[in-house]
Amino acid sequence: MADTVTLSINDEQVTVPRGTLVIDAATQMGIEIPVFCSHPKLDPVACCRQCLVEMEGPRGTMLNTACNMPCMPDMVVRTNTPAVQAAQEANLAFILLHHPLDCPICDKGGECPLQDMTMRFGPGVSQLVEPKRRAQKNYNISDTIVLDQERCVICWRCVRYLEEWEEKPQLGLFERGGDTIIDVQPGTCVDAKTSGNIIDICPVGALTNRGSRFQYRPWQVERTPTISLHDPMGNNISVDTRNGTEVRRILGRENMGVNDQFITDRDRFCHHWVGHPDRLTKPLVRRSPNEQLTEVSWPEALDFAARRLQEVSAAAGSAALGAIGSAKLSNESNYLLQRMARQHLQTPNVDHRQGGDVKAAPTGVPSLAHLMQPQYGPKPEADLIVLFGVDPAEEIPMLDVHLKRALSRGGSRQIAIHPRRTESGRRGQSLQYRPGLELALVQSLARAALTHTGAADAVPAGWSQTTPVRTGVLQADIESVADALVASESAVIICGPDITQQADGEAVRQALHCLATATGHAERLAFIGLDANSQGCHDVGVMPGRLPGGEAVDDHRARQRLESLWQGALPQGFGLTYSQMLEGCGGDIKGLYVMGADPASENARWAENLGRLDLLIVQELFLTATAQRADIVLPARGWVETDGTFTNMERRVQRSPKAVDIHGSEAAPDWLILDHLCGRLADRSQGYASVQAITAEIAEAVPAYRDIAWDTLGELGRVCARPERDARVEAPVQVAEEGAPSSTALRLFRGRTFYDNSRLCTLTDVVANLIPEPYLAVNPVDLARRDIGDGSEVTVDNDYGSLTVTVRADEEVAPGTAFMPEGLGRQPVGTVLNGRYWEWVSLAAA
Amino acid sequence: MSVNGYIKGAFEIAKGLGITLKNLHRGPITVEYPHEAIPVYPRFRGKHELRRYENGMERCIGCMLCEAACPTNAIYVDAAENNPHDPVSPGERYASTYEVNLLRCVFCGDCEEACPTEAIVLGHDFAMANYERSDFILTKDTLLNPDEPQVIIRPEA
Repeated sequence: MADTVTLSINDEQVTVPRGTLVIDAATQMGIEIPVFCSHPKLDPVACCRQCLVEMEGPRGTMLNTACNMPCMPDMVVRTNTPAVQAAQEANLAFILLHHPLDCPICDKGGECPLQDMTMRFGPGVSQLVEPKRRAQKNYNISDTIVLDQERCVICWRCVRYLEEWEEKPQLGLFERGGDTIIDVQPGTCVDAKTSGNIIDICPVGALTNRGSRFQYRPWQVERTPTISLHDPMGNNISVDTRNGTEVRRILGRENMGVNDQFITDRDRFCHHWVGHPDRLTKPLVRRSPNEQLTEVSWPEALDFAARRLQEVSAAAGSAALGAIGSAKLSNESNYLLQRMARQHLQTPNVDHRQGGDVKAAPTGVPSLAHLMQPQYGPKPEADLIVLFGVDPAEEIPMLDVHLKRALSRGGSRQIAIHPRRTESGRRGQSLQYRPGLELALVQSLARAALTHTGAADAVPAGWSQTTPVRTGVLQADIESVADALVASESAVIICGPDITQQADGEAVRQALHCLATATGHAERLAFIGLDANSQGCHDVGVMPGRLPGGEAVDDHRARQRLESLWQGALPQGFGLTYSQMLEGCGGDIKGLYVMGADPASENARWAENLGRLDLLIVQELFLTATAQRADIVLPARGWVETDGTFTNMERRVQRSPKAVDIHGSEAAPDWLILDHLCGRLADRSQGYASVQAITAEIAEAVPAYRDIAWDTLGELGRVCARPERDARVEAPVQVAEEGAPSSTALRLFRGRTFYDNSRLCTLTDVVANLIPEPYLAVNPVDLARRDIGDGSEVTVDNDYGSLTVTVRADEEVAPGTAFMPEGLGRQPVGTVLNGRYWEWVSLAAA
Repeated sequence: MSVNGYIKGAFEIAKGLGITLKNLHRGPITVEYPHEAIPVYPRFRGKHELRRYENGMERCIGCMLCEAACPTNAIYVDAAENNPHDPVSPGERYASTYEVNLLRCVFCGDCEEACPTEAIVLGHDFAMANYERSDFILTKDTLLNPDEPQVIIRPEA
């Protein structure tokens, strides 16, 4: 059977792949057929009847829907006959019967397919004399989406999106005939994490964005193609701005290698912090410890900062200085920060949150497209997806959406290995283990895999022979996962940063490598970070042990390359990691330069430690808990306010261009602040002309980025090569396991929630109610044993500190463990975790 | 010269003097402008006004069509959502900001033409001189409360 079919549309021959729908074949030829229900990313339903065309068939010429009819050989289709025109006019008149003519107040006005179709194909006059049907207007189906049932043309696109992509049937059709309306399914609420996409695909103004309601007209906004920085996917978005100063709304943008055309709700709604009155607008300086922060001019602040940095360096040595970057900021800003620290401050202490503390550096997923099942396209290449220590539903919702489709339509399998039974884990096989026992678990998996492939003698000495019972995982499950990995043709193993954050992290990485090699998936073993630029931070060298390019700091050739590029010497030795720097405040560390990080809000003890520093310089958007303790606060610009490039979890470098200017603010881009500071520290006057100049320098400093230049990135970014895998499997690291301090101690571990208490979310009114209250999730068995009721206040404490929180009985958490999300409430979970992923705690009623 | 010529000349002189005599007793047509009002034609296009409904609600719904129609970008509108308990205008939407820059305006009347609710009209006030450039920006407050209240809808409108 041939793979293509030839048919005639409007008497023109066209050859298309078998299975192509008539409407797509027509679109390909440039013939427009009006549609409402048909959408290129959704299955056809042919319910709006707008796409009727004439087809010649065995029973003569008849009208048929083009949107669900696959092309057949020798089919004869006509889209421009009087019969088709009459049908289109009649159907539009029918759709418009009940559609209110409130276009002047409708947010869709100006970009409304119904308006456009009526102008192009409509009858021009209305035959309706009866009053129009009334239904609910301005009806909030969620905190973020408004439904107008009168405007709805019952195309089902929203219902289908939630069913086909989100697999959450939260909207449905109710009543019959002319009374049909869209409404929320009883007993559910529209809380899918990508629910906002139904606004984009609605062909009329029935679903509108509550956060941008009446804020824009499509003809008056300027559109900038950019990316969002809420998760490591780097979802492609368009930012609509007005007056060049205000972000008015955000839309999804198609990039088939990243996000198809859909984005998460965080990407869409959380932008109200841009230009918010709470933002820092002027540099602040505290000249002596007892003074208040006072506003000064930029030259004064920068001179003071440079002088103080040199003073602290002279008094306590250059290694007493540290620099903390941020995985939420661009490659350029982070590159300049580490260059300033390494070259001008001569300190090896450079890191970012979940940077050097994570033993397995991010390598990036080989290809996101291999995990995706687009509406029209090949099946995903990955037949098995293993998620280890990642919770895509909360952390990377677009990846979660791709995985859902890969599983339900692409025939892939999924295995989730996580201390919690996560939402993502519920749809495939799920291994729930106790945090801290990653090593025992991975070694068991690797041993099982080696045994299955007949290489049992390759099991390294020192590995336990059986799966320890305390991991909470059954031997049978280990065997079945190992089986699945061995049987898989092309498995992708995605590992989050938390699993290798402990002392035994390196051993976990080696064991994972052993497992992936034994099962033939070493090429597709991926370590990822959870922030927008975790990969980029690693690549540009904001790591205590790695230089730009990802080489170890003692790599002779890399040092030579950078020293000749920078015309300066690099400091010797490994630096301190993020948590080591914050622990060492006042001890080994006397001065800290913090860019875009807020360690004080993460851990109460670190907040105290920061007070012991001789010098704390903070570069921030807001007066955060860390900035309040600083000696010098430098106001920065973020995201759409300045140019930058970001590297996503696929190692795709993408542009985030400037879209708005903030009036009345002296805040400066991070790179510019650092450039001026470098100039003062090195006593030179010439700096970088623009971000693009730094991008060009990164291309020289980082071998993997050699083809990256601002102009060649385009709107879709560019994937740079995965570096040579760190294939070293040294003698397995032996780490003594920590025993429980008492028989009733629980393993408390942290995680992220979709919306958290960061200012990026709290400053957006419409999502304020969606941010969860801080809670501690404990298995009901553990609660019953301690006689603690669900919902009561409990005290969690250990040697590091204590906190009071509301407890929630949750069966998704294994007995013997407790889960608390980070970034919620005033008492951070980091206080008892002490910079780690999990810690022993005791639990008592408050 | 013929007799006819003399008679014709005298007639013309008499005709001319007749006009002079006719206007001799008519008062001056100059108007003491600031003290005396000048009638303008009904379709005269002067300073902008925003109109209200009889119940006091604003007609303007902030649809921004006037802004789109304006050939000189003289109008700036920002819309917001009505508080259902204390609406500014009928429906869900109202103009939270409405500004007309008189220095840019060419008084073409396209904004009136575009307005779906007949909210913006060009009134009959033509005295628009001011001392400060900033005073030429009409805000919603001045637009809604013109000095001479008028409710003329142009005959053809």
